[in-house]
Amino acid sequence: MNFDDRLDQAARQLATEIPPERDLWPGIEQAIRTPRRRTPWLAQAAAVVLLVGASSGITYLAVKDDTGPVVAVQPELVFEKAAFGGDYHLGPGFQDARNSLRAQLDAEFASLSPKAQQDIQANLDLIHEAIVEINTALAQDPDNVLLQQQLLRAYREELALLRRVGGLTRNVMTRNDI
Amino acid sequence: MEALLTASGSDYSQRMADTKDDPVADEQTLIRRAQRSDARAFEALYRLHVDKVYGLCLRMTGNVSEAEDCAQEAFILAWNKLDKFRGDSAFSTWLHRVAVNAVLGRIRKSKREQDRIQAVADTEPARTTAADTGEMRDLAEAVDRLPEGARHVFVLHAVYGYTHDEAAGMLGIATGTSKAQMHRARRLLAQQLEKQGFES
Repeated sequence: MNFDDRLDQAARQLATEIPPERDLWPGIEQAIRTPRRRTPWLAQAAAVVLLVGASSGITYLAVKDDTGPVVAVQPELVFEKAAFGGDYHLGPGFQDARNSLRAQLDAEFASLSPKAQQDIQANLDLIHEAIVEINTALAQDPDNVLLQQQLLRAYREELALLRRVGGLTRNVMTRNDI
Repeated sequence: MEALLTASGSDYSQRMADTKDDPVADEQTLIRRAQRSDARAFEALYRLHVDKVYGLCLRMTGNVSEAEDCAQEAFILAWNKLDKFRGDSAFSTWLHRVAVNAVLGRIRKSKREQDRIQAVADTEPARTTAADTGEMRDLAEAVDRLPEGARHVFVLHAVYGYTHDEAAGMLGIATGTSKAQMHRARRLLAQQLEKQGFES
């Protein structure tokens, strides 16, 4: 028996049902019995538009001229603890493009100034939080077209940000080369 | 379980008595009751499935505290989305999908969160192997040390038996990516386990 076969056999013998060391029900019960303070979805969508717009603006200012002043403005929005809605996956093509740009960003990130790095990461985090927020709203209202559009827009914003940063790093490298 | 059902009311007890030899029917009744916002029925479903959900969370995160949080989030998500469950798949499979979403949701939440999880994982030895013995313990520990993407695919495909298509769908990745991550997992596990004489 070769290693892969032996590994497969062993993997199938690993325990798949494992009791937790403590009873998790009290926390679950508290969460499902407590009426959730719900923000109207329209307000959530509006907040997301503002959030993504602010993120894009800040990032544009951060990357349009790496040597210039950077406006550090953080929208002070508080997000509820939320999980990523599993029903709203990216398509494989979109995901591949995102992964490719993200890999490029990771590879070239070090060529940016520390301040630009910090701002770009902060804005990526903002977009990710917006995606989580929209997914939370979609979990409650899965057929809401406006929310679906906002989710797509947030994904596009992330893609656009990664592209802009990629262009910036290439410019920096070109100037250094010269 | 029995105490829970008995405490739920005589009407339900009678229905349960009619189906006591059919655990699937029991589960379906509990699901229907939970879909009507019966928290006691949902607790019974939790008791039935918590080991499966927690086991998956523990295998995927490799960390006890993260697995506990993910399992709790999974059941809260399940409660909120229970009306979407139509019985097209087994309830346990549907719960697995919800649990994977809970794990991925926590990971995707932010880079800071990932860093925090990694920091916890680095300082707190995973105890995923409590249910495993001997050579299985070595394998479980090696799986815990896999990079996130490879670990997720290995757990879903090799441990839980999902096809690459199913695992890719649950993880939101392409099928080819799932296969590539599985290949990577095998290679990394071989490197780790060969040192421990896994093949001998």
